[in-house]
Amino acid sequence: MRNLIAFFKRFQIFLVFVILQIAALSAYVRYSEFARLQVFSSASTINGGILEIRNSVAKHFNLENTNRKLAWENARLREKLKLSNYKIDRELIQIEDTNYHQQYLYLAATVINNTYDKRNNYMTIDIGRNHGIQKGWGVISSKGVVGIVHLVGESYSLVKTILSKNINVDVSMRDGGAFGLLKWDGINPKICQITGISNDISIKKFTKVITRGGSGIYPKGIPVGVVTKRKSIEGKPLWDLQVRIAEDFRTIQHVYVIKNVMLDELRELEAKIPVDKEEDEF
Amino acid sequence: MNNFVLNSIRFVLFVLFQVLILNNLEPGFGLYAMIYPLFIFMLPFQMGTVPLMLLSFAFGLVIDSFSNTFGLHASSAVVMAFFRPIIFKWLSPRDGYETVEAVNVYSMGGRWFLYAYGTLLLIHHTWFFAIESFKLNEFIWILLKIAISVPSSFLLSLLVQFIFISNKKAVR
Repeated sequence: MRNLIAFFKRFQIFLVFVILQIAALSAYVRYSEFARLQVFSSASTINGGILEIRNSVAKHFNLENTNRKLAWENARLREKLKLSNYKIDRELIQIEDTNYHQQYLYLAATVINNTYDKRNNYMTIDIGRNHGIQKGWGVISSKGVVGIVHLVGESYSLVKTILSKNINVDVSMRDGGAFGLLKWDGINPKICQITGISNDISIKKFTKVITRGGSGIYPKGIPVGVVTKRKSIEGKPLWDLQVRIAEDFRTIQHVYVIKNVMLDELRELEAKIPVDKEEDEF
Repeated sequence: MNNFVLNSIRFVLFVLFQVLILNNLEPGFGLYAMIYPLFIFMLPFQMGTVPLMLLSFAFGLVIDSFSNTFGLHASSAVVMAFFRPIIFKWLSPRDGYETVEAVNVYSMGGRWFLYAYGTLLLIHHTWFFAIESFKLNEFIWILLKIAISVPSSFLLSLLVQFIFISNKKAVR
């Protein structure tokens, strides 16, 4: 027993070191499982408040750019109004629309803190549980895909942007429809990668990439970017595609959080997919 | 008591400087300037390793909570606190540290500061970027990040000391 105490005294410093490292690194590696860690993120009330004060100063530097972006979006939406359409089918009688139901709802939010240069990049937005946000909802901007809601605080929430390690957004080519997963290698905040597309499918340069809408987080057809470079992965029959993403994360200020009304239904259905038993036997 | 108040003020100022200014400074090429290791470096000599590591852990957690890294900064800060006494012992001057009141570039001299702080910063940044990526195929990118971030953090720390610490005591 005395030896044991002597041992602990001798290695006291190293033991404390190991304990603290285990505490810190276990939090880092499996942070998504601890809901209470929300206190230790910028989604908490105090930190969010401080960052919001900072943003209220810093946002004025980008005002011109933001205005241009919003004006651009207004113009695009105005094009979609019925007023700017020329009616062709004059003979048809308009009946009440029961064929289309609302599936996606959008909530506008302001970005109060944002990084784009780290290995995993997060964005703090100024809406949270009070506004009905839930974990796992998609986030887009007027230019394209932004990310997924990662942690939800009382009145702030944290968005994991597509500039992160395992983000895996479901994307497809606009022409052709080949689909794969969007990844980021951590080097250039303007370039992402797509994996999982077989290299016997021909893909031209400058093909537009859109969301596939497969996981129900984003609607189909949200722009992601443009293919700028492609080469085969050595030893695998797959393309390595470089995509110039549509959103510029260095100047982003306003985003929309997407609520899919039918998400629960989709998840419920997908949970019923039976496990393939033949694979287990091998 | 005086020391306690001074370090508490430093704690707040270093956190604010790091999270409100440096975290938003992202010029690309993987450059990430960090000023907060200087806080750990400038804590008093007399502090034992265990309290030093506990304080660094808390300090790192506060930085983490603002930059959404969930323990990464805390882990790196603890590593730095663990190696601080070892490096100090290794570089100790002939008559020890007993006559020195504060740890900074004026009291200890430029050469000592370069060796001690440079080594600790290298350890800290290597640990930080290695754990951040944790992938072997990003090895060269990690090296580039370290090579570019360590000198900028070092110069920034030097600048902060030149601006905010008066060297009246050092003049003999």
